[in-house]
Amino acid sequence: MKRKIFLLVIVCIIGQVSCTDLDIPPMNVIQDKDVFTTEGGIRIYMARCYSELPMEDFRYSPTRGTNHFWIINPTPANTGEALSRDLNGATAEQFNFWERAYPLIREANYFLQTMPSYAGSFPEADVNHWLGEARFIRAMTYMALAKRYGGVPIVDKVLNYPDQSIDELKIPRASEEAVYDFIADDLDFAYENMKPSSEIGRANKYTAAAFKSRAMLYAGSIAKYNQVQLFDGSQNRLCGIPATRANDYFKAAYDAAGLLDGHYSLYLKSWAASDKQAQMQNYIDLFFDETSPENILVKDYQYPETVHGYDAYNVPRQLMGGNGYSAEVNPTLNFVELFDGIPKKPDGTLQTLDAGGKYILYDNTLDLFANAEPRLRATVIVPGDMFKNQSIEIYRGIYTGSVTGGISRLLPEGSTSPYPSANIVSSANAQQTPYTLPDGSKKNPAGLSGVFTADGTCSVSGFSVRKYLDPERPTSEVLENRSDQTWIEMRYAEVLLNRAEAAYELYAAGQTGAGYQQEAFTLINRIRERAGADLLASVAALNNINIVRNERRKELGFENKIWWDLKRWRILDREQNGTIYRTLMPFYAAQAGKYFFDARPDERNSRYTFDTRWYYQEIPGSEISKSQNLIQNPGY
Amino acid sequence: MKKLICYLGLFILILLASACNKEFDDYPEPSETLAGNVKDAGTKSNLQSEAGDRGIRLVLEELSWSSTPTPYYFFTMQDGTFRNTKIFKGNYRVSVEGPFVPLVQYDGSGQVTVDNRKTMDISGNTNVDFEVEPFLKVEWVGEPVYNSTDATITVQARFIRGTANTAFHANVTDVFLFVNPVSYVGNNNYDNKYSTQVNYDGTTGNDQLGQTVTLTTKDRIPGSRAFYLRVGARVDYGLKYYNYTTIKTINIP
Repeated sequence: MKRKIFLLVIVCIIGQVSCTDLDIPPMNVIQDKDVFTTEGGIRIYMARCYSELPMEDFRYSPTRGTNHFWIINPTPANTGEALSRDLNGATAEQFNFWERAYPLIREANYFLQTMPSYAGSFPEADVNHWLGEARFIRAMTYMALAKRYGGVPIVDKVLNYPDQSIDELKIPRASEEAVYDFIADDLDFAYENMKPSSEIGRANKYTAAAFKSRAMLYAGSIAKYNQVQLFDGSQNRLCGIPATRANDYFKAAYDAAGLLDGHYSLYLKSWAASDKQAQMQNYIDLFFDETSPENILVKDYQYPETVHGYDAYNVPRQLMGGNGYSAEVNPTLNFVELFDGIPKKPDGTLQTLDAGGKYILYDNTLDLFANAEPRLRATVIVPGDMFKNQSIEIYRGIYTGSVTGGISRLLPEGSTSPYPSANIVSSANAQQTPYTLPDGSKKNPAGLSGVFTADGTCSVSGFSVRKYLDPERPTSEVLENRSDQTWIEMRYAEVLLNRAEAAYELYAAGQTGAGYQQEAFTLINRIRERAGADLLASVAALNNINIVRNERRKELGFENKIWWDLKRWRILDREQNGTIYRTLMPFYAAQAGKYFFDARPDERNSRYTFDTRWYYQEIPGSEISKSQNLIQNPGY
Repeated sequence: MKKLICYLGLFILILLASACNKEFDDYPEPSETLAGNVKDAGTKSNLQSEAGDRGIRLVLEELSWSSTPTPYYFFTMQDGTFRNTKIFKGNYRVSVEGPFVPLVQYDGSGQVTVDNRKTMDISGNTNVDFEVEPFLKVEWVGEPVYNSTDATITVQARFIRGTANTAFHANVTDVFLFVNPVSYVGNNNYDNKYSTQVNYDGTTGNDQLGQTVTLTTKDRIPGSRAFYLRVGARVDYGLKYYNYTTIKTINIP
């Protein structure tokens, strides 16, 4: 009996000890208190947000979307900047961006809602900085939505299901104007609350100002140039902004850009006045120098954790890496003709013929570009230019006909026909059969980097892209998922261009004060001076918006920005209207021992037609099925 | 063991058999017909269009269930007629969209100022015609001519404003001679080797209003076959769809 009581007591004691609260949060899930109480936790939270941030960077293509590894439909081949064998016509984005944006907005909202309750653990300045950072992330995401779809639902707090009913969660689209105002609000908050500096890859107050200048410029352009209108049933204009708002937005863009004065500067480390070689090298280095004072927001890559394949896809054919990709981005002659320092006809197109209508002959293909603007050669590899210590050899064929009295045009001006086979030796692919020249020596019918008639892995336009191509990377490392150069999403040159464009638009709209035309003139010349281009002679010479726009095209070419610019200017349907872009085909005249150039429409006859509906992209049907309050954009 | 497999097989068979049901759906299939024409209000003739999603589009909003339904769209044929035989019975608001003065117009603040949509019950064979004011009336002047010397076709056409409402007198941006070897011809379907486009900058296109425009095909047209021709023109309004002439056929000797 005693023994039984003893056992019972023991059981009771054991039972008592095991009394503990079982209703605890799961231990294997990270809690708010783990994240929001340490600086490291917040850094991790932000790292995720930044990795999801919508950027059209090395891992973006219009067909596959953001953060995709396989980028063989390059964006520049959609804008007229370049031709590519894998993108041969205008395309709209073919992925659902909507469903990628709202999760990130939720993350930003969650941060904004949760952070204040843990504010006690940190100095106030840090908390304000982080709140500003979350607002910046939200603004950037909204901007990516607005530039695609126009007005979208504004969600500024965390939505909860099932606490809120499904009907409450079907938030209708706000007006496009309201979305841009919302973006401006967020960025103003970020500017006022963030610190003036931050670690590389994260935003600070000036980053917010820079993005505000971009967003407001977009809004101003839409107010001024957009034709499409779409209203919902309660007078919200989902597509388009009232024209009366244009000057407000341009003024906001102008002011926001001015906030960066003195905090960032153009990259001029190895720049030297009137030294074209130094200016070219300076412009190339600008994209690789981690300490560049021009970088405002960058996205870092680091092998092997985060990688891309920019080099593998875009190196010239003769430097092809092990994956067998090369030359996806081949700048068009239309793009090259924007630059200074090449012989041009009065209409601005390249001069390839002499006064008698015969081809001008050159000893080397590079001679045509001897006086070219340094920025052109830092952006584009022209035929015969040096890259990785090799001369990049590009020519279309060998002309075997007579050269006495000069060579006449191979085809009439503007003809889209293929080249005649008589008197021309060409090569179908990189396995070339050398041709015996009159002096007995041998020469390949096409350059090592093309142009081949049947194999698209070459330079199909006569040019190859240089911007962002790593000049140091050995060919053995030119592989997919091996490149790790930094993407510069926002650099000071763009801020200056934003300001110049806003200033010119204000001047054009008759706004006085601040000397807008003078200001735009000064800014354009700052960009041109660094680029080594011809300066605008006088303020009065800046008499057309296209001067400002073309400067932007040249400066920001191949940075995946131009498509959005052409869209917000609402000129893309005019530019791409059954358009065949132009190419430059060098030939070697065997009997003269010299080269000549033929400018012609793309021999592959790739036609570009921009569908006017694409100014406002189609809202994915799957999103409308989820929320029937979403009104589809016009024409879809 | 064998027995068990047999029983299992039998069991599965019974399950499958019981799933057989002739009732595919608990709602009768749509069987009503909506047909009609989209006509030019001025000439009362059918408005020419192109097949597909850059032509004229019908917008059906079924009001039987909701006042803000998700619209159902379908397109007219290229001669401006439409016929859809698979529509659910119900009460609809019907509208058309295309290269003409919109049936619903808004002022700057989003208030509806004009609403010419039609609300109707669709049941059995429902016919409805819409009379619209096209942005441009494009018409032939004379017959297409084949030039045997350089193997081209020359046509003459004329375009004028189709509406008196000056709010829709946007600049004429281009005129296009579409050429195709099949009878479906227009901006959606043409042979760009031969078709010709003339672009106008700014207001220069407006000077051509009412003038006879002569267009000649590019390149050499191959012989011994028929080609289908059509002239389209458009104004810088909205989604910039083309207004068209009728289709003419030319037999190349």
